[in-house]
Amino acid sequence: MVKRFVATAVVTAAAALAVASPAFAQKTVTVLREIDTDKYDPQKSTSRSGGEVMYMMGDTLVNLDFDMKTLKPGLATSWSVSPDGLTYTFKLRDDVSFCSGKKMTAKDVVATYERWLDPETKGLVKWRMGDVDKVTATDDTTVEYKLKKPFSELLYQMTQYFHTIINIDQAKQLGADFGVKGFDGTGPYCFESWTPRDSTVLTKHAGYKWGPAIYDATEAQVDKVIWKIIPEENTRVTALQTDATAVSQYVPYWSLKDLIADKKLSTTKAENYFWSYFIGFKVDHELVNDVKVRQAMNLAVDQKALTEAVTFGFAEPADTMLEPGVLDFDPKLDKAKYGENTKTAEALLDEAGWKKGPDGFRYKDGKKLAPVIYGIAGQFKEVAEAVQGDLRKVGIDLQIQLFDATVAWGKLATQEFDAFGMSFPYVSAGDALNLYFRSANTPTPNRMNWKDKETDELLDKGMMATDDASRAAAYKAVQEKLHDAFVWIPLYHEPLYVVAGSKLKPIRAHGNYGCGLYKGLGIAFK
Amino acid sequence: MSDLTLDLQEGGAPRTNKPAWHRLLKDPAAMAAAIFLLLVVGAALLAPWVAPSDPYASNLRLRLCPIGGPRCPGLLLGTDQTGRDMVSRLLFGLRATLMLGFTAVAIGGGFGATLGLLAAFYRRLDTPIMRFVDVLLSFPPILFGLAIAAVIGTGLNGLVVALCITAIPSIARISRGAAQQVMHQEYMEAGRSLGLGDMRLLWRYLAANTWPVILIYMTLQLGQAILLGAALSFLGLGAQPPTAELGSMAADGRKFLTIAPHVSTLPCGLIFLLVLAFNVLGDALRDALDPQLRQ
Amino acid sequence: MARHIAHRLMISLPVLLGVLMIGFLLLQVVPTDPATVSAGPSATKADIAAIRLQMGLDQPIWLQFFKYITRVLQLDLGRSMISNRAVVDEIGFTLGPTVELMFASLIWAAPLGILLGSLAARRHGSWIDRAIMALSVMGVSVPVFWIGLMLIQHVGGAGLLPFQGRDGPLWTLAGLKSIVLPAVTLGSVFVGPVARMTRTSMLETLAADYVRTARAKGLTEWKVTMHHGLRNALIPVVTLIGLQIGFLLGGSVVTETMFAWPGVGRMAVGAITSSDFPLAQGAILILAIGFLSVNLLVDVIYAGLDPRIGSAGG
Repeated sequence: MVKRFVATAVVTAAAALAVASPAFAQKTVTVLREIDTDKYDPQKSTSRSGGEVMYMMGDTLVNLDFDMKTLKPGLATSWSVSPDGLTYTFKLRDDVSFCSGKKMTAKDVVATYERWLDPETKGLVKWRMGDVDKVTATDDTTVEYKLKKPFSELLYQMTQYFHTIINIDQAKQLGADFGVKGFDGTGPYCFESWTPRDSTVLTKHAGYKWGPAIYDATEAQVDKVIWKIIPEENTRVTALQTDATAVSQYVPYWSLKDLIADKKLSTTKAENYFWSYFIGFKVDHELVNDVKVRQAMNLAVDQKALTEAVTFGFAEPADTMLEPGVLDFDPKLDKAKYGENTKTAEALLDEAGWKKGPDGFRYKDGKKLAPVIYGIAGQFKEVAEAVQGDLRKVGIDLQIQLFDATVAWGKLATQEFDAFGMSFPYVSAGDALNLYFRSANTPTPNRMNWKDKETDELLDKGMMATDDASRAAAYKAVQEKLHDAFVWIPLYHEPLYVVAGSKLKPIRAHGNYGCGLYKGLGIAFK
Repeated sequence: MSDLTLDLQEGGAPRTNKPAWHRLLKDPAAMAAAIFLLLVVGAALLAPWVAPSDPYASNLRLRLCPIGGPRCPGLLLGTDQTGRDMVSRLLFGLRATLMLGFTAVAIGGGFGATLGLLAAFYRRLDTPIMRFVDVLLSFPPILFGLAIAAVIGTGLNGLVVALCITAIPSIARISRGAAQQVMHQEYMEAGRSLGLGDMRLLWRYLAANTWPVILIYMTLQLGQAILLGAALSFLGLGAQPPTAELGSMAADGRKFLTIAPHVSTLPCGLIFLLVLAFNVLGDALRDALDPQLRQ
Repeated sequence: MARHIAHRLMISLPVLLGVLMIGFLLLQVVPTDPATVSAGPSATKADIAAIRLQMGLDQPIWLQFFKYITRVLQLDLGRSMISNRAVVDEIGFTLGPTVELMFASLIWAAPLGILLGSLAARRHGSWIDRAIMALSVMGVSVPVFWIGLMLIQHVGGAGLLPFQGRDGPLWTLAGLKSIVLPAVTLGSVFVGPVARMTRTSMLETLAADYVRTARAKGLTEWKVTMHHGLRNALIPVVTLIGLQIGFLLGGSVVTETMFAWPGVGRMAVGAITSSDFPLAQGAILILAIGFLSVNLLVDVIYAGLDPRIGSAGG
């Protein structure tokens, strides 16, 4: 044990030394971020900070274009779907190898999925695979992916980093340390070292040439990428302003105005990026089970002012649950239902039987309209306080309880609260709706307790659809239903900006899972 | 606190004689510190009445308004990140910070002082008590803060407990040293031969003659307690937002240092002045009362 | 001498036990069930029960404490709840940078403090003395985070020196550059106390008989100060610098957090705020033990240097 301790220290020192030695000919870029990941195992980590590095270290069968709608070849050059929507056949590239030098074949794809399916692995978010029957390799370059039930989302899900193809030999060899001490993928960059809470170092994958066609380059343009954790907002911003080779998408709203105005830096915004902030109601809880109350609360909240204040006007105030640019979004929704209108809100509350008491708050049968809201401490604090202020104007006394991130997820799985605040990324309408509104997903992630047979049927219909039109129709119907039931108060849709230092070319920001650098092929020196 | 250890042995017998106070009155720095502290403590005590507005009432439209900004007329020192009045927050923050310091030093220091007196009075208690004090002294203060925050969670309660514990050992040593000198005085012997009880001797003779020294060191300890409290709050282990407390205000505001430096700088500066005043006053009091350093 | 060291060791033992108890307590008070947490989100009831058995959570508390001590002695501090890495490994990553930072701060702050202190003592009562003492009391009163904030803003912001963490070990150019600002921040709060200690100690020595004799012999004032005053005054000063490591430790937790310095202090704060109890426990344990060992070492050296210590109790 002592030996191991010493060995770790020595290895760290050596690794740190390697990082530090200024290789003048090398092109090194530092990516600044706020928090570290828990691990780099695509099947066991759902954090964005894990995902953004795994997109660079590994590849998926299918890639997603900047429009977040068009599918592009990845490790698979082409694919076909059987008419019943149950069998997907992927044709793989023949020229792909892992960082370790091992050639990638259909066997690796199969092994990756088998590992995820194996209960022993304790993999997360398995629904992202659909209801898998069997994944088989027909030959070295052909994979057959068989489902028990159609899953119209599958190809989009396959663009998510969870589906990254890994070298199973290494995963087996490292065991619990896979994704901690090592990672072997086929991506444009290779894992070199990870010092938790400090930095992750990636080096260029020599011989990589299978980058998606959405980029100008098919291989990495820099030799080394250092992902560095800088939790302090102010330090991160100052670092971006002073370090000519720094990149970051974790730029606080307050600094954006200055950063965009800074001629030395280049700041780009992801054209399509879906990460929304909302407040959800437990629709079966006494205080908020009346649709009129929920609508009133929606009308009381001034999204525009809130967004302006909290995000310095950089986010988009929401009047629908989902971002309008997302696949299968329903443009026919009545947006007026969600704007600010305190007069109507008051009338609705009166109608629902909640009368104003002498203290300015509303009561019904001696009960005060004081719903409890749970959330994660951090940025939601400001949001919650702004919402609290708006609701107070119509006589609702919102009780805010915030928890530290580690405790919060447990708390949010309980039935203790009436409403909760959250934000989430999604790739399509179906992605978001299937996650949050299936009866089977109560109490979490369906924290709304939304148990509705028709919704379930529509979601099934969307999921099993074998053509785009019927899938879209089913999901649009669900959106309409939820929109009119006011299960959420949509707050705002977050933007994603990528800032690059003066020595670097502007980097086109991608919106996939909120990982703005995506494959990292856009990082290049001027 | 830094050089307290050095002066431990020299915590002399109390001499509340005139020259000492005269010396103090002639020390302009000490007088300035005393006047500043009086003003500040007064303002903190009266905060609920003198504060121009509610320190927790936020107005997002007025957020980060600079000092004297045209956006927020009437708000003397501008607003913080959620548009709360800085003057009111500083007053309430001062109140919370001082309360923290006073509570810690009063409880922890009081406990420590009692331990010291007991150790000096009862010979057989001396070793166990001083060993206990040595043990406490062997912990760096910040570790108490970290450990307690970890055990009972972050927040004001944990902070007070941590600060109380850190105040115990040094005050105990001072009070023991001072009390030992009093124990050698003839009147203690006289009192004992008169047949006075232990309690009476302890409180009427021993405590009554050592408290000035203890008080001086408590003043110095106050500065340290406030500084430590601020550091822990800054790390996010102390007062939690939206509580107005100088350390956490400084921490909250540091994000906006570039665009609104006043939000963090004002509480930082206030902490500095507060601790400086306590240290200057404590030093002057000690010099005035300590015969050894008088040249 | 031997008695003195034995005495110090005797004090250290209960401290160590206290530290261990805190570490153990930390693993007891986890707000959520440790078995559930370590089992992960996809665990079944049976999984949790198995882990509970495996972790020994069903045994009486004293036995758990005993087992905990045994584990600690074998350097098994458990695994981080977040990264699932061995806590010992995590500490291995962070220990070096912390020691580095402390060293880099001491190396300039202690000599400067001693210089200022002896200058003040030599010119006792003059304006120089008063100025130095005023500076040092300010140094003791300033919150360390304020100095850090100002340095980041004005020195770092001007692009003069890096401030976003550790770019390498001390002996590389990049590493050296990246440690300047943190070391200045941390050291600056240390100069004041050292100057004050040196001054007090020097004043005492300069008043001692042998110094008076030296003066009577007609040695110049400078020689008296340097040869007799400083040398003898330094013994307690060096000791006190050692004992003040705790003070430095306090500052280093804050400094590390501000400068994204990957040390033990920052890890401890991160572990506490994210409720990663095993990691917090390990970090606190290592900080306390490190502090204890330094204290003990300094004490032993002091005892060796100063013959008077031999008989005196503490």
